[in-house]
Amino acid sequence: MRKTAAFIGAGFLTITTAACGGTASTGAADKTLTISESVTATPWDLAKASMGPEAQYYQPVYDTLVRLNSKNEPTPNLATSWSYDKAETTLTLKLRSGVKFTDGTALDAQAVKQNLLHTKSGTGTAAGEIQDIASVDATDAQTVVIKLSHPTAALLPALGQVSGMIASPKSLENPKAPVGSGPYQLDTSATTAGQTYTYTRTSGYWNAKAFPYDKIVIKYLADPTARTNALLSGQLDGASLSLSRVKTVKDRGLNVVTYQPGDIEGLFIWDRAGKIVPALGKLKVRQALNYAFDKQAIIKTAKTGLGEPTTQLFAPGEEGYDASLDTKYSYDPAKAKKLLAEAGYPNGFAVTLPDLSALFPQEQAALTQSLKDIGIKVKLDNLPSDQIFSSMLAGKYALSYFKLGAPNPWDKVQLELTKNSTWNPFKYDDPKADDLISQISKATGAERTTLFKELNTYVVDQAWDAPWTPTVNAYATAKDVKVTPQPGINFPPIYNFAPATS
Amino acid sequence: MLVFLFRRIAAGVVLVVVVATATFLLLSLTGTDVARNILGETASPSQVSAKARELGLDEPLVVRYGHWIDRAVHGDLGQSWFTGDSVNQSLANTLPVTLSIVLVGMLIALVLSIALGTLAALRGGWVDRVVQFAAVLGTAIPSFLIALVLAVVLAVQLGLLPATGYVALGTSATGWLQSVILPAVALAVAATAATAMQVRGALIDVLRADFVRTLRSRGLSTRSVVYKHALRNAAPPALTVLALQFIGLIGGAVVVEKVFGLPGIGTLANSAAVRGDAPVLLGTVVVTVAVVVAVNLLLDIAYGWLNPKVRVS
Repeated sequence: MRKTAAFIGAGFLTITTAACGGTASTGAADKTLTISESVTATPWDLAKASMGPEAQYYQPVYDTLVRLNSKNEPTPNLATSWSYDKAETTLTLKLRSGVKFTDGTALDAQAVKQNLLHTKSGTGTAAGEIQDIASVDATDAQTVVIKLSHPTAALLPALGQVSGMIASPKSLENPKAPVGSGPYQLDTSATTAGQTYTYTRTSGYWNAKAFPYDKIVIKYLADPTARTNALLSGQLDGASLSLSRVKTVKDRGLNVVTYQPGDIEGLFIWDRAGKIVPALGKLKVRQALNYAFDKQAIIKTAKTGLGEPTTQLFAPGEEGYDASLDTKYSYDPAKAKKLLAEAGYPNGFAVTLPDLSALFPQEQAALTQSLKDIGIKVKLDNLPSDQIFSSMLAGKYALSYFKLGAPNPWDKVQLELTKNSTWNPFKYDDPKADDLISQISKATGAERTTLFKELNTYVVDQAWDAPWTPTVNAYATAKDVKVTPQPGINFPPIYNFAPATS
Repeated sequence: MLVFLFRRIAAGVVLVVVVATATFLLLSLTGTDVARNILGETASPSQVSAKARELGLDEPLVVRYGHWIDRAVHGDLGQSWFTGDSVNQSLANTLPVTLSIVLVGMLIALVLSIALGTLAALRGGWVDRVVQFAAVLGTAIPSFLIALVLAVVLAVQLGLLPATGYVALGTSATGWLQSVILPAVALAVAATAATAMQVRGALIDVLRADFVRTLRSRGLSTRSVVYKHALRNAAPPALTVLALQFIGLIGGAVVVEKVFGLPGIGTLANSAAVRGDAPVLLGTVVVTVAVVVAVNLLLDIAYGWLNPKVRVS
């Protein structure tokens, strides 16, 4: 649910010079990587950039300040080294020397400053990621000093994604084509906006050997069936796959990787204070909801068995994740009913849910049935898909199925757990959680991890939500292409594709 | 004929304006939170209101409509709210794709329906029954199912033709035909079925008419009677049906484009409708209505050419 398009198109997009079936790529021979995207590109202006699947359109052209490795840790890229001050509110970056944009301009501290301030001034999701930046100084040509309004663990990871991408200062405002310092350039003659994007190698790129392909082609293909057909007939080297097609594609000998991008899905309880459904204000009722779901069965039917039950908002591998919490609420409808009775609702209560069965049929069915099983009367509200977000955010629904995704745990906290969080539509406020969150914002290292865990445990104990499972994504590649998924990112970045060595 | 043409064109323009206005109003009245949809669920409320201002959504409806009409009259349909791409350019990229599959589909339907209809009318008997049965079947099977079967069997399993994608006619004529033929066939099936039955019916009626008996009594060959006289008289009703089918083909194109991953106007309209991308959706509506009006006009001219009586009235 990182973007509307992905949300709506759950399960939910021309051709290269090599026109016909099976000729798009034969890996090492022609060194072209042809992949598809399920969403269209966002504008080249990074201030308007989105950070979901759209990031792939930017990756070939715009290089990032840092590169996130397979453990999501920042490693040198445009910045060769960096250090925080003691308070962790000032980050000093040393830039690689001799890097030029493809228009010939030098990539220096001034360019980085202009970029960060430009992106931050925008309205896109990339802008939202770096809102904590208070000021940026270029102290000399290779040194950038970033001042933060408060310490945040999220800054460096953000600088490894779209927020940390650097465009030529001349092209910042409304560029018609992207101008960056990355490994590839957009070949406008072989590009049709909204359909096919072709990128060719930039000669003299400092890190060329990290990019084995001479040419990258990204095609927009919205329909999962069309994507699968294109993969199977050899027109594509890589595409995201619906979970239901994983087996078919594997059986045909293609490579499929499944991974957790860090999203958590399940029943989200928005009205924790019981403003519109008073029952939800009681802890026992919220806990009863946690006992109501047969997560194993939901994973088996709705997720083709891919996934594992969870009780927490943090995904395995994230800071703050605590495996021991995952056994806290097992499937126990009898216990759920008992808790409801203890809370004063022996005959249950009534709730109205948004009907998401057009987008998530099995999930919606599981939700409705499980609630009915413990005696909660469910009324489904039918609404157009483009109004789902606004209705939820307006506080129309006390609870609903949802998928919460953020690039890192701190962003997840900011997105849902604070009083002013966007996804806290009822502005639920809990002083204990607030206190922990404010401590996390100032803490570093092991102390921060401990505090994250404390917050996590508190939220699970208080049954703020009833999560089911970390979301699993599947990505298929041709036999001769290997891809490594990136933690916290929904679609594998361009630099994680390589010829398969068999 | 000129007055007739002029009246039809004027009516077409009025129709386009009315449909565009209605679409604009409908899109504005649903009260969707477009800014939120553009920015995704991670955006803060202040970013959402900034985006809404940027798109001019805070202005009154009349002002926004005025701006849109003013620019549209000058040939500028605006930019996509989501991608920033020019709507004119998007339409210029996608329209040829849809027109390719729809027009090739219509051509296939025209040729096949005349052939099958004539065959059924002249031969009768079991041939007639087979054609009629096939026609019922052809109308009953939805085009997306035909498209899926064609894609999976001919493209994916046998690798005879590309499974997805479009090659511009200017890039490669054979590439174009290969990328267009399967979707066009999928679209043509239902139209062929309906039109073949129309040709068959009309031809049987004409062959029973007095003037045909007169022609035959003068010793003209069956061949000459059928091809020079009867078919020409049977054509107008068949053309009417085909014209109606055209609108259906445009609709069917949405689904067929999806299956074959074709970047056509149907795909464009569909994603714009799902996301609430008003400028793109308005653009596709205006252009689709204009194309339907233009094709109907062309068919009217063909009708007039086949049947001089129409030109007089």
